[in-house]
Amino acid sequence: MALRAAVLRHIRLPVQTLTATGSRPQPQWSFLRLFSSHDDHLTKEEVIDRVLDVVKSFPKVDPSKVTPDVHFQKDLGLDSLDNVEIVMALEEEFKLEIPDKEADKIDSCNLAIEYIYNHPMAG
Amino acid sequence: MIGATTAAYLARRAAQQERVRILYRRALKDTLNWAVHRHLFYQDASDLREKFEANKHVEDLDTIDKMIAAGEATYNKWRHPDPYIVPWAPGGSKFTRNPVPPSGIEIVYDYGKEDND
Repeated sequence: MALRAAVLRHIRLPVQTLTATGSRPQPQWSFLRLFSSHDDHLTKEEVIDRVLDVVKSFPKVDPSKVTPDVHFQKDLGLDSLDNVEIVMALEEEFKLEIPDKEADKIDSCNLAIEYIYNHPMAG
Repeated sequence: MIGATTAAYLARRAAQQERVRILYRRALKDTLNWAVHRHLFYQDASDLREKFEANKHVEDLDTIDKMIAAGEATYNKWRHPDPYIVPWAPGGSKFTRNPVPPSGIEIVYDYGKEDND
């Protein structure tokens, strides 16, 4: 017991001092996974990128015409059934469950990006 | 034809189109439930799309209604008993599992510290 106390007294951990600029705590906690589920909302650019990727990889779509505010039926010349397929592909990409009535209204990239960005469970 | 473009006709057509879209959506999800492997799903999805496309040019409202009813009956017959539902959605495994605690309740982290320390 006394030996243990003596050994512990001699072992010192190096104290990490802050750098002169006052380092942000962020890099030290990067190996720690914060288990809150409320700070992993997607950023708007991420949503836009992923939505555009899904739309571009649709076989009936010309990838060069796809912009963030393109309308599926008017600009890309798709069918209403193609619209349904795109919405299903977006549901699979973001692991969402969109109710039927809402899914029917998603007609353009704009609406899709808005809906997904404002959805709390968008992954 | 005078009756071709009245508002009632257009409204009925629009309602039918919406029914068709929702039916196609549900049928597609059901196809994915049954055919889990992607290559099988693609084939089945193409077949489903062919069936819908074959009836695309029907103009008569009553025929369309009958076809939609027949399609919904087929869909109800083939519904998967254990469909994949996203976990947090109603019917999924995480639904109402850990509801958000009411506001105003908070946990005090005092780690067993006594008041007279």
